[in-house]
Amino acid sequence: MVKETKKRDWSVFLRGMQSVIGLLGLCIVLSILSPRFLKWGNILNVLTQTSLNAVMAIGMTFVILTGGIDLSVGSVLAFSGMVTAGMIHSGLNVWIAILIGLVIGTVLGLVNGLSVTKGNVPPFIATLAMMTMARGATLVYSGGRPKSNLGTAFGFLGQGKILSIPVPVIILFVVFIIAYNVLTQTATGRYIYATGSNEKAAKLSGIKTDYIKLLVYAVSGFTAALTGMIVTSMLDSASPNAGNGAELDAIAAVVLGGTSLSGGQGSVVGTIIGGLIIGVLNNGLNLLNVSSYYQQLIKGIVILVAVLIDRRKR
Amino acid sequence: MPLLEMMGICKKFPGVTALDDVCLTLDSGEVLALLGENGAGKSTLVKILSGVYTMDKGQIKINGDIVDIRNVWDAMKLGIGIIHQELNLIPDLTVYENIFLGREKRDSVTKRIDKSYLKQESKKLLNRLGVDIDVERIVKTLSVAEQQMVEIAKVLSMDCRIIIMDEPTDALTTDEVQNLFKIIQALKCEGKGIILISHKIEEIMEIADRVEVLRDGKYIGTKVVAETSTDELIKMMVGRELKEKFPKVKVPVSDVVLEVRNLSVSGLLHDISFELRKGEVLGIAGLVGAGRTELGKTLFGVYRYSGEIFIQGKKLNLTSTSAAIEAGIVYLTEDRKEEGLFLDKSVSYNMTLTILKAFTRLLGKVDTRKETRTVSDYVQRLRIKTPSISQTVENLSGGNQQKVLVGKWLMTQPKIMILDEPTRGIDVGAKVEIYNLINELKENGIAIIMISSELPEILGISDRVLVMHEGKITGCLEDSEATQEKIMRYAISTGGLDGEGN
Amino acid sequence: MERKSVKRVLGVLVSLFLVAVLVVGCTGGTTPEEGQQEKKIGIVISTLDNPFFVTLRDGAQQKADELGYELIVLDSQNDSSKEYSNVQDVLQQGISLLLINPVDSDAVANAVKLANDANIPVITLDRGANGGEVVTHIASDNVAGGKMAGEYIVQQLGGKGKVVQLEGIPGASSARDRGKGFMEAIEGTEIDLVASQPADFDRTKGMTVMQNILQAQPEIDAIFAQNDEMALGAIQAIESAGRQGIMVVGFDAIDDALQAIKDGKMAATVAQQPDRIGSLGVEYADKVLKGEEVPTYIPVDLKLITKDNVDTLD
Repeated sequence: MVKETKKRDWSVFLRGMQSVIGLLGLCIVLSILSPRFLKWGNILNVLTQTSLNAVMAIGMTFVILTGGIDLSVGSVLAFSGMVTAGMIHSGLNVWIAILIGLVIGTVLGLVNGLSVTKGNVPPFIATLAMMTMARGATLVYSGGRPKSNLGTAFGFLGQGKILSIPVPVIILFVVFIIAYNVLTQTATGRYIYATGSNEKAAKLSGIKTDYIKLLVYAVSGFTAALTGMIVTSMLDSASPNAGNGAELDAIAAVVLGGTSLSGGQGSVVGTIIGGLIIGVLNNGLNLLNVSSYYQQLIKGIVILVAVLIDRRKR
Repeated sequence: MPLLEMMGICKKFPGVTALDDVCLTLDSGEVLALLGENGAGKSTLVKILSGVYTMDKGQIKINGDIVDIRNVWDAMKLGIGIIHQELNLIPDLTVYENIFLGREKRDSVTKRIDKSYLKQESKKLLNRLGVDIDVERIVKTLSVAEQQMVEIAKVLSMDCRIIIMDEPTDALTTDEVQNLFKIIQALKCEGKGIILISHKIEEIMEIADRVEVLRDGKYIGTKVVAETSTDELIKMMVGRELKEKFPKVKVPVSDVVLEVRNLSVSGLLHDISFELRKGEVLGIAGLVGAGRTELGKTLFGVYRYSGEIFIQGKKLNLTSTSAAIEAGIVYLTEDRKEEGLFLDKSVSYNMTLTILKAFTRLLGKVDTRKETRTVSDYVQRLRIKTPSISQTVENLSGGNQQKVLVGKWLMTQPKIMILDEPTRGIDVGAKVEIYNLINELKENGIAIIMISSELPEILGISDRVLVMHEGKITGCLEDSEATQEKIMRYAISTGGLDGEGN
Repeated sequence: MERKSVKRVLGVLVSLFLVAVLVVGCTGGTTPEEGQQEKKIGIVISTLDNPFFVTLRDGAQQKADELGYELIVLDSQNDSSKEYSNVQDVLQQGISLLLINPVDSDAVANAVKLANDANIPVITLDRGANGGEVVTHIASDNVAGGKMAGEYIVQQLGGKGKVVQLEGIPGASSARDRGKGFMEAIEGTEIDLVASQPADFDRTKGMTVMQNILQAQPEIDAIFAQNDEMALGAIQAIESAGRQGIMVVGFDAIDDALQAIKDGKMAATVAQQPDRIGSLGVEYADKVLKGEEVPTYIPVDLKLITKDNVDTLD
């Protein structure tokens, strides 16, 4: 019996390592093809670039684990970034402005959650509506114009460094640690998996699945807003078109990380790896001077192949 | 020459050998019962025959010719039809659309589906089965028994030579079972070969010609029904003799734990009142659709109700399942896979989900060591057979899955347990274990409400029986006075009037 | 079980190999040995799924080949944060000068600063940068172009009539500038702007938006579309509605529009010379790298194309 458990652990371990192996392989191939890939400066670039997508993808993982989806993250990112920029322009303290941006993202997430739970609207539709509404709100609030020159204090979030590590990377790390612990170590984490695995059974186990769903959409709204802060700070400008299509990159990272779109199975570790695969691919293909037309083709193939392998193993 | 021969069939799944060198023969005009405990390999064997699974090794012959069944279409073409345990109809389509799904007759010119032809043919098929179902009804509005008839009609429409029925009587009431048997007889006379999977020996004795027994994926033997006995079959099935089918323990009843007064749920339950005492098993009998499950779920806080519910004299306001759990009422569902288990999760995960709060430490972290200790303790006490507590419950047998759920609810230290069809889909050996468990709970002072469609079980285990009909309680019987006939009379009509059925 | 795991790993490796082959296949020969000798210029373009910018790139490429530069082309896909990471990536590749065609003039500032920090000179193309140090800006003046179109309409209508404007993507600077120029031209005349709605620079949207406007406005004398795609969509709407006597003026002078002018379906379009912008970019890059003084703004001519001069083009 002991023997059997060990064997299982080994195969489970390998299964978990699959995407890591893929990522490492990708890095090896790229470092052979381009000598610049492994330079420290470039590695920091990759991590910074990945952090934008990955922070949001972590929030998306929460939603997808419950069997939902959040298409509104790109627009929520734009809206919260725009409002924060507006607040800074109006002379508000930078940190309060950031707090307001984050609260707005969370509230928009809660609205998504309410439509899904109380309104019984399918997640796809509810968040599609929010995607359009938040984009509209951004255009209304900004008059279609970007808001720039936000000051150095705000710039720290996206451009600053602590001990020569870019702040966005540190933010990603913190978000990851918290998300990882919540999902794997706490009761709330288990309820999230339970809701996605079998909602009826979760309800009949006394779990308030509606509350759990509200929570995950709020988390997703929050991480989208946080990404909005980082992007806005990085560009020193809130653009009304920011985050267009970002939801698809976030979903791709989650799926590449092996999280099942039907819910109940997956992890944020996978999501980080998925995000890194996308980030490394973007960066590497740029370094190799691959035409942007081919880049999209290759990215699509990688996603498809990864999911096919994942399917096969189930 | 037999109609069907299966020889040396082997099939492995990750971690389990489901079938090991199993054989089977079937003649035309014969009813062959496949008997075995859950996990014995009955379903796997017929799924191989119907193309759902492919075998690892073995040979299948039909009318003496070796055939190759790779998928469901191959099986269909060979005239093999299966009626699955979980019915495979499209709930939002009509009866006739379901019967001819994928094989619609089209007009040769316009390519449009010839609906009037399909309706007419469907009517003919259903008439042949002696049932009267409007072919234009939407399938989800039909009862389970009616849906099963539609499935049978579908198989007939394919002109199958071999018809497989996987646990067809599980969701049926006694009358409906009799009707089904009549149809099986008729099919037999038409020269069809029928394979019937069941774990209800009484039914097998009544309808089958021969019985093949499987145990742990191995072929044990085949008997002609007329020449065997229930006891012999049970012995073959479980590999040992069962001492007692219904072990009953009498515990002195004490105070009233639960009191229900004028409980109503709009459209489901009407004016229900009863009491439940510590140390008793209250059986709830009735036909499918009588409102038994709804009563159980209402007491578990699922539905909004009017009326009053008291627990140990204290009035409860059951607005949610968590409120019910807190008050000490738990409900074991009749539908393990859909409503009970998290199939892709571990034994441990499934058992502790409702009481995680008890294990949480600082910052909401779950103390996994304490959790492991508690789970291991329950696994041992309930004698759950699993390689480890991190095994996914999907891979456990039905009986052990049920025990996992019982363990999950016991961990909440309930005062009242509502068991809805606690032995459905569980083999004979494991049934007795569940009964023993119920007795143990009773002795430990837990009051039990047991909902069941199997009358022998109700009579064998309950101390008192409530009978329901159309959302009302129509009778209450002490176990000394209860008989199958009395219960049926209450279940069919209201009160003591003679029902037409008897 | 273990054998299966091995299979999975093999699957991953095989797919990686596939990706590698693809990457190598696509880059085929773009990183030749002698490339080390050639000076590299990076060009980051707002989007390459618009013929205008593709032509701009082609112009730059042609000039680069002529002058013996290696040109590294990156596509920002109309996303400012993508643009920022593109600049990060291209700076890793040892370029001597950065040509950038910004997605948004405000949001590009920090990307320009990245290049400034790396001591790489920057030249902006078509759209300017509102921040960072730029050596020179090469562009045709969108405000002037909008004004040119507006003045043409005023003149053709004799200073009086009902006019509709189809706007580009809300918030895009080209949309803002063209609109601004157009409004300047019609101000103070008796021209009445009866409708002005966004159709996102898109032909299909141009058609549907125009259909709606045609329903609402029984009398229209002229349409100004902020690009030709929308103008062509509008023409389709007008034709299918069977309306007569509506003059359509577009912007960009794409091939379809020139044909429409030849066929008499469209009155005029404002021609930019994107290939010229691209080639001037490389030409001035060469000058900057050779240490020559260059002016801070290099205007590229705009031209109003009508039936009278359409044949003189090419």
